[in-house]
Amino acid sequence: MWLNRNITKTKTDAKSLSMLFAEFFKVRKGGLQDWVKRRFVEKFYGSRPHPFVLALQHPNRGTLLGYVVEHQHFLRQWVRSCSFIMARTDATDVILYELDNINTEFGGSGPKQPSHYELLLRMGESLGLDRTKILATPALTDTVEAIQVWDNICQQDHWVEAMVAMHGLELIANRNLRKEGARMHYFDPTILETREVTDATRAFLREGYEADVGHSEEALDLAAKYADRFSIVEHVQATFMRSIDAFDRYLMARLERGRQFESA
Amino acid sequence: MRVPEKGCVLCEATWGDYWEEVEGQRMFFCCDICAVEFKNMIREIKSRTGWKSIDEVKIEGDYRGRDCIALKGDKRYGFFVRFDSKGQVQDFNNRPITEARVGPQKSKAV
Repeated sequence: MWLNRNITKTKTDAKSLSMLFAEFFKVRKGGLQDWVKRRFVEKFYGSRPHPFVLALQHPNRGTLLGYVVEHQHFLRQWVRSCSFIMARTDATDVILYELDNINTEFGGSGPKQPSHYELLLRMGESLGLDRTKILATPALTDTVEAIQVWDNICQQDHWVEAMVAMHGLELIANRNLRKEGARMHYFDPTILETREVTDATRAFLREGYEADVGHSEEALDLAAKYADRFSIVEHVQATFMRSIDAFDRYLMARLERGRQFESA
Repeated sequence: MRVPEKGCVLCEATWGDYWEEVEGQRMFFCCDICAVEFKNMIREIKSRTGWKSIDEVKIEGDYRGRDCIALKGDKRYGFFVRFDSKGQVQDFNNRPITEARVGPQKSKAV
């Protein structure tokens, strides 16, 4: 299954397969960061962009509510993941990075700078879904399984692998991916300028759109530095592939949840 | 049932060597998950159409979802199907085939 999705669907001999693998995992001049971006663009923004990205270009209420209900579970795991990374490293630059990230995503900085999590819940409320209802809704199976994958990575694998597995996912909202070959943005940026979505939705999307560029790239720079230092680049690559497979299914869960709202 | 001449009946990959009997016919699959998915798909088609047998299923798409047309004599049945990680049917819509593809949703003020 992995070969079909990532290398080729055509059975090849050992020598050819070995060459295909070498090409797939080859880290070029741009380093590990470049490889991670290349693989991410290919999977989510390539010739068959992810259906959730397509739906988010001009999202309807169901898509956004699906986003809210499933993503609250993702964000709660996110904090656990970042905490595991911090707990398992003594690198000060990594600890400072993760602290800042946790604060932005979950803690917030007073009423004027609410956390990403708070902005998400407000988006749900602006679409007519009560906060208590949002918080009381359990995650769909695909989300649960994806969270399990990330939890296992962060608890059991090297913290550098965990960093790339988690922060590599922030590339989803990275505006610079267009320069790396992405066919579209995470959403059509014009929705930030019109009344097509609610104010709270714009606030949530804008925050991610503006913040995640620096976040994901800084994390990848740190991870590339330490992956080299510990000579674990290939492990990091394999773990990243596992993480984006989980992310793919998780994004499908957002759509699935969205359909439930549409048909309700 | 007509199946592809080469490769897995569901995804057409030529890796693997997994054989299973489906509808009285020995079929090649690249893995056990594809076999489970295909059998579940056939069961769902038969239950929704009432057909006793199926001549062919034309399949397009990938693990994120497949647009399909089932054929029985001169009858056609278009649907979209997606499976969970264990190969069980997660989404099955008997939409007209032109609308079945997962694509951008209509914009609507929210």
